[in-house]
This record gives sequence, C-alpha cells and structure tokens, in this order.
Amino acid sequence: MTFSPRSRLVNPRLGTYFSIFAALFVAAFLLDLILEQLKFGDGTLRIAMLLVPFALYAAIGLSTATQDVLGFFAAGRRVPSGYTGLILAMSATGATFLVAAAGAFFFAGFDALVLLIGGLSGFVVMAMVLAPFYRKFGAYTVPSYFGRRFESKILRIATAMIAAVPILLVLAAELRLGAEIGAQLSGIGVYAMVFILIAMITMCVAPGGKRSFTWTGVAQSIAMLLALMIAATAVAVLVTSLPVPQLTHGPLVRGLVRNEVAQGLQLIQVSPFAFELPHDGFQTITKPYTQPFGAIGPLGFASGVIMIACGIAAAPWLLPRVAAAPGVYEARKSLGWATVFFGFAILTVSSVAVFMRDFVLDSVMADRVGPLPQWLYTAAAQGFVQFDQALSRLTFSALQFERDSVLFALPIAADLPQAFVYLLMAGGIAASLIAAGATTVSLAAILGEDVVQGLSWEPASSENRVWISRVFVAIAACCGGIITLLAPTDPLRLVLWALSLTAASLFPIMVLSIWWKRLTSQGALLGMVSGFGVAAFAIFASEAELLVIPSVISGSFGMPIAAGVALAISALRPEANRHDLEVVRDIRVPGGQIIYDREMQRLQLQKHART
Amino acid sequence: MIERKERKPYWRHTKWQMLASLLPFIAVMIVLPLYADQLNQNRFIGFPLGYFLAAHGFFVVAVVTVASYVNRQNAIDHWHGAHEDT
Repeated sequence: MTFSPRSRLVNPRLGTYFSIFAALFVAAFLLDLILEQLKFGDGTLRIAMLLVPFALYAAIGLSTATQDVLGFFAAGRRVPSGYTGLILAMSATGATFLVAAAGAFFFAGFDALVLLIGGLSGFVVMAMVLAPFYRKFGAYTVPSYFGRRFESKILRIATAMIAAVPILLVLAAELRLGAEIGAQLSGIGVYAMVFILIAMITMCVAPGGKRSFTWTGVAQSIAMLLALMIAATAVAVLVTSLPVPQLTHGPLVRGLVRNEVAQGLQLIQVSPFAFELPHDGFQTITKPYTQPFGAIGPLGFASGVIMIACGIAAAPWLLPRVAAAPGVYEARKSLGWATVFFGFAILTVSSVAVFMRDFVLDSVMADRVGPLPQWLYTAAAQGFVQFDQALSRLTFSALQFERDSVLFALPIAADLPQAFVYLLMAGGIAASLIAAGATTVSLAAILGEDVVQGLSWEPASSENRVWISRVFVAIAACCGGIITLLAPTDPLRLVLWALSLTAASLFPIMVLSIWWKRLTSQGALLGMVSGFGVAAFAIFASEAELLVIPSVISGSFGMPIAAGVALAISALRPEANRHDLEVVRDIRVPGGQIIYDREMQRLQLQKHART
Repeated sequence: MIERKERKPYWRHTKWQMLASLLPFIAVMIVLPLYADQLNQNRFIGFPLGYFLAAHGFFVVAVVTVASYVNRQNAIDHWHGAHEDT
C-alpha cells in the first residue's frame, strides 16, 4: 500500500480537535447566556467570557510545544490548505478589519469597501504571483528568502530591518485594539490588559513557534468567526426572518437609500484623491450609506485598493504562512480558502454595519412617535453612544458613535441579552490575538534568524536556533506593547500605513525576484531601500501637511520608484551568476526538492568537508 | 521531475496563464467601483446593484478567479511534467 505525502503528513484528527474547541467555545457562550437569565453577577460573566477562551488557547499553545527546527519555523510543513487559508485570512483581518472595519462600514458605507476589495485582491495576487513560488523555495522568513535567492548577507539584513517596521506597526495596532476591547469586557485598565495580552501571545507562540501559533491561531480564527456569525445571524433572524445576514440585508440597504437623505444626510463631494476613513473615537454619521466616493475619492479608492492588495500580497507576516503548507498545490489552494474566509468575514461585518444603520435610522425618523428607543440609553451607559439624554427627538447630528464599539452596540440595539456583547468582545480579542500572534512569530523568526545569526549562513545547532527565536518571541511582543503604550495611534491607520510601506518596499522586489531572471542583488537592495525611503518620507510629509495627498495612500508612491530603481540598476550593472539563475529556474517549477532545504544541506556538506 | 528542454515552454505557458487570470481581474477591481453610482439605480434582491456588485459580486469574482487559476495551473504543470512528485 502506498501513501501520498499528504495523507502521511496531515494529522487526521484535526477536524475532531477543532470541533471540540468550537463546541467548548459555544458552550461557554450558552452558559453565559443561561447564567445571565438566572441573574448571575455581571462581573463573573464578563470575566468568564475573557478567561475561558484564554485558558483554551493557552492549553493548545502549551500542548503543541516543539523543539524541532522544522516544526518551530514552518509548523512541520503539514498544515492542510483549508487551515492555512483560514489563518491567512484571519491574520489579515485581525481586530482592525473586524472591529474597526465595522465602524468604517457604519460611517463610510460604500467607501469602506476599499478594505474588502483590497484584501480580496491581495489574496488573488498572492495566489498567482508569489505564494506557490515562495512555498517551492521553502524559506522560513522573507529576509531568508532574499538572502538565499541572491546569496547576499547585506540584502538579508536590510530586508530584515525593512520588514520589521510594518510588522511592528501592525503588532502595535492589534495590541491596542485588543487591549481596549479587553478593558471594556473585563473592567481591567487598558495598560494592564496590554500586559495580559503580551503574556497570552507569548504563551501561545513561544512553546512551539509557528507550530503553536498555527494551532492556537486556528482556534482563535474559529472563535472569531463563530462570535461574528452567531451575533449577526441572531440579529438577521430578528430583523429579516432569514438566518443569512450577508444576503438578506438588501431591503434594509434599500430603506437606507430611500430615507437617509430625507432625514437630513446630504450627499458629500470630496476631492478625487481624498481618503478619509473614519478616525477612532466618537463621531456623527455624515454620509448616506450607499453613496460612492463621499469619504474616499475615486482616485483615492483605486490607489487605496492597489496599495492594500500589494501590501497584503507581500506582507512579511502573512506570506511565510504558505511555507507551512504540505506542497505547492496545497499552497495554491490555501489562497483560494483565504479568499473565501476573508470575503465571508468582511461581508458579515458590512451586514452588521447595515443593521446598525437601520436601527439608528429608526430612532431618528421624523415621523416616529413615543419616547426614544431604550437601547440608546443602554448603549450610552456602556459608553458606545453619546447623545443629549434630555432630548425627546434626535437627528443624525445629535448622535455620536464610537467607531470601535459599533460592532458591540449591535446586540444592544437588537435587544439581545448582554451575553451576545460579551461573545462579540471575546471574538474581537481572539481576532487581535491571531493578528498579533502572526506578527510576533514572524518578527521573532526574522530577529532570531536573520538579524542575530544573519552574518553566517550556517545556522546554530538546532537546539540553540529554536531557543534564540523563542526568546525573541517575548522580546518582539514586549516591543509591540511598548509602542502601543508610548504612541497611541488609530489602529486602522497604523495597519494601512504598514500595508503601504510593505507595498512600496517588499512587493515590487519580491515579484521581480521571481518573474524577472536578471534582477541583481544590488538592484534588489537599492530598489527596496529607495521604495521604503520614499514611502516613509511621503507618509511623514503628508502627516506634517507638506503634501496634499492623504498619508495612507501617499506611501504607494514608493512602489513604482522601487520597481524602477531595481530594474534600472539591474539593467545597467548586470551580474551573471550561475547560482542565482539556477535558483530562479528552480523556483518556477513546482516539482523537485525544496530549495531552502537543499541549500542548507549543501552548507552542511561544505562544513563537513572543511573539518 | 521536469525535463530540461520543457522548462522554457512550461514557463511561457505559466506566464500567459497568470496574465490571462490576473489582468481581467485587475480591470474589474479598478473599474467596477467607478460605475457603482450609475448601477445603483437598479436593484437586485433588494440591494442597490452597484453596491451589491462591488461587495458580493467582487467576492464571487475573486473566488472564481483563484479557483479557475489553480485548476488551470495544475493542468499546465501536469502537461509539462512539472508537477510535484507524489
């Protein structure tokens, strides 16, 4: 009897394990729901919804500890495509594209689709242009890929420095959002919550590196999707009588189109280059939901989509995930799954925003009789909404919503029990944990592999190699925490900056290194550095108001510059190098040995020959 | 393992497949939102059509693009003998 590699590698009980996790998570929610109806103490319910999932994640993290190099850095290369796609999609989503994007859809309506279209395009581009080739190469980190592809230590270290910046930005954004949600849920202060999250991430990631992150990440993704789906489906059943929130909110959108302008929302004209997604904090609704280009101009929309797509496609905290797939075919397929899960999650988020807009519209309708709806007072008591409670009649301009709480206000507006709010908050924390975990594990591998051991190609003994990265997991998480505490910034903005920096520096060079044989190491290095420099400068200039283009999209200026510099330098100073050519030819063919492993074996043989 | 003289035709085939899948997709990605306003005059299962196409429609387009690409590319690999050894 013969076994194909897939069936030999993949754990056949994965489905069972994660069904058990999903059942436990749902059971915790149902128990919360029952105890709330039995008038149990509110504090206990909140803490339970925080701690039960934490205990489950920690248990998974600790039980997947490993000392094996392949396991620690690539999850043993045996994560099936569905799971890889789930983690890819959910680490790209994170709390920002879940919680902050719910707010963005709520305020900006149609214009927030830039996040959905950009993210989906990112996965499509990654599937066709980068992922299968990266998997064939099999490097553990993006800088290692560049280093081995061009046999250049300088390029490896420079890439590590450049890749660390966007990773840290995303980590800080996710920790901030996660800590704010955690503080709302548990009543613990935001600062203390940051430390709890850092401890949690270290516990989920340090024992087994990518292996523990993979399986805790799958659990967190399931928790996040379940939370979102349970709440959105419950509201959809109440409002539209059908349990498919993504498809049934159409008539509500239609109602918004008909009534919002009549109730005083004016169509907004903005400049073509505007890019004004709602900021964090309280604000009023100003724009009709379906009006296109009232917050983001048409050109801003197109460049925003390209920027987000290229940023996600080459993100150094997402791309190494495909190296954990069992093969090139599975890597391709995993991107299909990522597209499905990402689109599903964001479409659900957009339906949540429409339901909320509908509830708000109901409470501001001019022909409404009777007192203000009770849910507004409940939401105001929890700090989700602000309005003058002495008024008996409200307009859109009298109601202020907190962007990052719109998602949590939904169950309150639909008169569902508080347990639904806690469930959504637990989902939000899970989302922030998975994105923070993805960035931490990538940053730790980059720091441990490419910076500390970057000057020699021969890695330390496997024991030391794992321990160095394990220590850096804690250091990386703490660095993110320090940035969160010292420089509190709007998380959505931070993530978009990170994506535009990646799109400007890593994306063009990454694509050229696969699709253009004659790219030289100097061309790659200078292209990457100049693209990053231009993008960073443009972002600073725009923030200092020296540049009229909004900072979030101004970073995309770096992309053509990086590509142009790389092409020009490589064309002007060609380097004919047999090794590089051989590697590129090999990357392009799915069959055959994994290149990174072969190179490592070659180094070992050379070392043997010397001693 | 792929034969040496198959490498060039294999890569040409792969390149054209990538362009054939990616370019129409990018065209849709840029152009579709720009026409949303005009399309919003119509409706489909309750949604304004422009909004529906830019959200749900684009999701379907993306999934179909990746699925068909994966299928085609796997077939190309097998045709040229470049597939993974099992």
